[in-house]
Amino acid sequence: MSNRAQVLETFRPLFEPRTIAVVGASATAMSAANVFIRRMREFGYSGAMYPIHPSAAAVDGLPAYRSLAATPEPIDYAYISVAAGHVPQMLARAGGRVRFAQVISSGFGEVDEGKALQDELVAGARAGGCRVLGPNCLGMYSPRGRVTFVENGSSDLGAVGIISQSGGLGTDIVRRGQVRGLRFSGAVTVGNSADLGPNDLLEFYLADPHTKVIGVYLEAVKDGRRLFDLLKANRAQKPVVLLKGGRTRQGQLAAASHTGSLAGDDRVWVALSRQSGCLLVETLDQFLDTLLAFQALTPRADRPTREIVMFGNGGGTSVLATDLFSRLGLEVTPFGAPTLQALAALKLPPGSSITNPIDTPVGTLQQDEGRIAEKILDAIYATAEPEALVMHLNMAAFVGRTKGDVLGNLMQAALRVQSRYPGRAHFLLVLRSDGESEVEARKREFRAGALALGIPVYDEMMNVGWALAALCAHERFACRART
Amino acid sequence: MAPDQLIREARAAGRGALDELSGKRLLARFGIAVPRSTLVQPHEPLARKLAGLRPPFVLKVASPDILHKSDVGGVRTRLGSVEDVETAMRVMLARPEIGRARLDGFLVEEMAPAGQELVIGAVRDPQFGPLVMVGLGGILVEVLRDVAFRICPIERVDALEMLEELKGRALLDGVRGQAAVSREAIVDALLKFAGPAGLLMTLAADIAEADINPLIVSAGGAVAADARFILTPETKS
Repeated sequence: MSNRAQVLETFRPLFEPRTIAVVGASATAMSAANVFIRRMREFGYSGAMYPIHPSAAAVDGLPAYRSLAATPEPIDYAYISVAAGHVPQMLARAGGRVRFAQVISSGFGEVDEGKALQDELVAGARAGGCRVLGPNCLGMYSPRGRVTFVENGSSDLGAVGIISQSGGLGTDIVRRGQVRGLRFSGAVTVGNSADLGPNDLLEFYLADPHTKVIGVYLEAVKDGRRLFDLLKANRAQKPVVLLKGGRTRQGQLAAASHTGSLAGDDRVWVALSRQSGCLLVETLDQFLDTLLAFQALTPRADRPTREIVMFGNGGGTSVLATDLFSRLGLEVTPFGAPTLQALAALKLPPGSSITNPIDTPVGTLQQDEGRIAEKILDAIYATAEPEALVMHLNMAAFVGRTKGDVLGNLMQAALRVQSRYPGRAHFLLVLRSDGESEVEARKREFRAGALALGIPVYDEMMNVGWALAALCAHERFACRART
Repeated sequence: MAPDQLIREARAAGRGALDELSGKRLLARFGIAVPRSTLVQPHEPLARKLAGLRPPFVLKVASPDILHKSDVGGVRTRLGSVEDVETAMRVMLARPEIGRARLDGFLVEEMAPAGQELVIGAVRDPQFGPLVMVGLGGILVEVLRDVAFRICPIERVDALEMLEELKGRALLDGVRGQAAVSREAIVDALLKFAGPAGLLMTLAADIAEADINPLIVSAGGAVAADARFILTPETKS
């Protein structure tokens, strides 16, 4: 069996568990483990769930068992949320019948007095023959196996694989990401990573055919060398987006040399990114925006993104975005004569600007109930070769102010053009809202419609700029890696 | 000579760092150009000792007690004759920081041809292992902070990209009438230092920090004009 097949086989019981044990659910109260059972039922988990309880006959209507070794079948995934002190012994007595144990409990290596207990946990798991995720984490979300720690996680199996060293941020990533249109192939919170850690999950997602892009939130790395090797070997074939916490802490390196005094904690992450092609982002927003671009768009190593065409309503918005894009290393250059002529032939009303960026006030976009967008985009595609096209709509200028479904028609027009020129340019949509509820409601509706057609939607020009810059960096590295 | 022999000798002598001469021998062992040099003792007659070297000379104090030679007046450059070297040595010996230090002697070197001053350095990251740095500015590197780091080993493309990452990279192409320096020579030195079979990968367990500062790069090549290697505290078993 190839290493890749072996990795997939090893982690299959984690992402698609047939049997689950739940430790820490109460027969009388509502603990985190009871919440887990409830969420698993709501999520449609169809395998067997075995609560482990010292005395109760049943928990949440399920027959309870005294220990991990006493369940009717071996356990693929054990969710463990009991007092930290009990966990090492419990795992040591699992008798080789548990494949993966996710230890939610805190009080291990994250506090000084728990470091010894964490060593016991690892030793216990080894003795009991199981692999550990956590401790000090929140759980995992795997649509393919109908496992979830988040409430209202989508049941769609998506293409974004997440690893998070923070449980809370893991929840944010799934829930906020979902609203922006991300769909996940999995999200695992790894907490202290006493046994299995980010590198192991990274290896899985790199091998996993469902996963198109990987997002990792890291705080501390235990084996940087292996991370470096895994990312280098990937040669940017699968994009990896890295959000690293704690980058501003100065390194602990003693500095007896000039080099030592210049080597802050951050340098190595920048180096890792430059050498392996992984994409280093600085905020949760950038992280989600970048993941969305890779979920929706197909990177082109043969034609890295550089020239951007911007089209929409909002002159100041285009000007500011042009500045931002330029700072991000993207180009918004005025059209050549053929495109200008084709656009001039459309005889757009005064107030429209047809150089790049194309600025068309609402009055222009209302023409033909919004179908004018189709002619503009057609003219661009017929005469120019941009790598990406960003259409931005200031929705507040339309909602309640224009007759007919101008916004709907604009969107439809853009999509029709896009389907006429498949693969010509990355197409990204920015739907800008002023936050009023009516506008927000239309935005949600449009966002859903565009996402269903595979078009990534962003809130502001800044967000689309970050996403395009990351896409460009990835494509350039992929181009470099081929040579 | 085994690559780690110089390191074993330093450790055996209870030193936590390689002296400059040993550091340069180590660099030369890996194919990085260093100036021709000789170690002399105070008050030693120099004419015969320096007969094989071509002026101008550089004189440097060599002492395990002195880490920052320039700071104590322990470096003199552009010395045109043996007499100039002797005079400069007497001046150095009169300085209190040098006079009371344990001396290995004084290093007399051929002065490298003029060029841009760069730095190549290394630190050992506890998680990622050896990192290599390249920077502009020689002794001003900590002021300019115009540096690029990579995780070892690096490939040729990484070395080229490191130079592209420097804000002052235009200096390498020659500004204000200066000749362009050899990027190829810098890349070559970087690969010999930090490439797959380079110094840092070969001696990863022993080297905690290193500075080649300055690396003087001209159109014709790159010469390591000074070298410092700080050893890791633990000895290899």
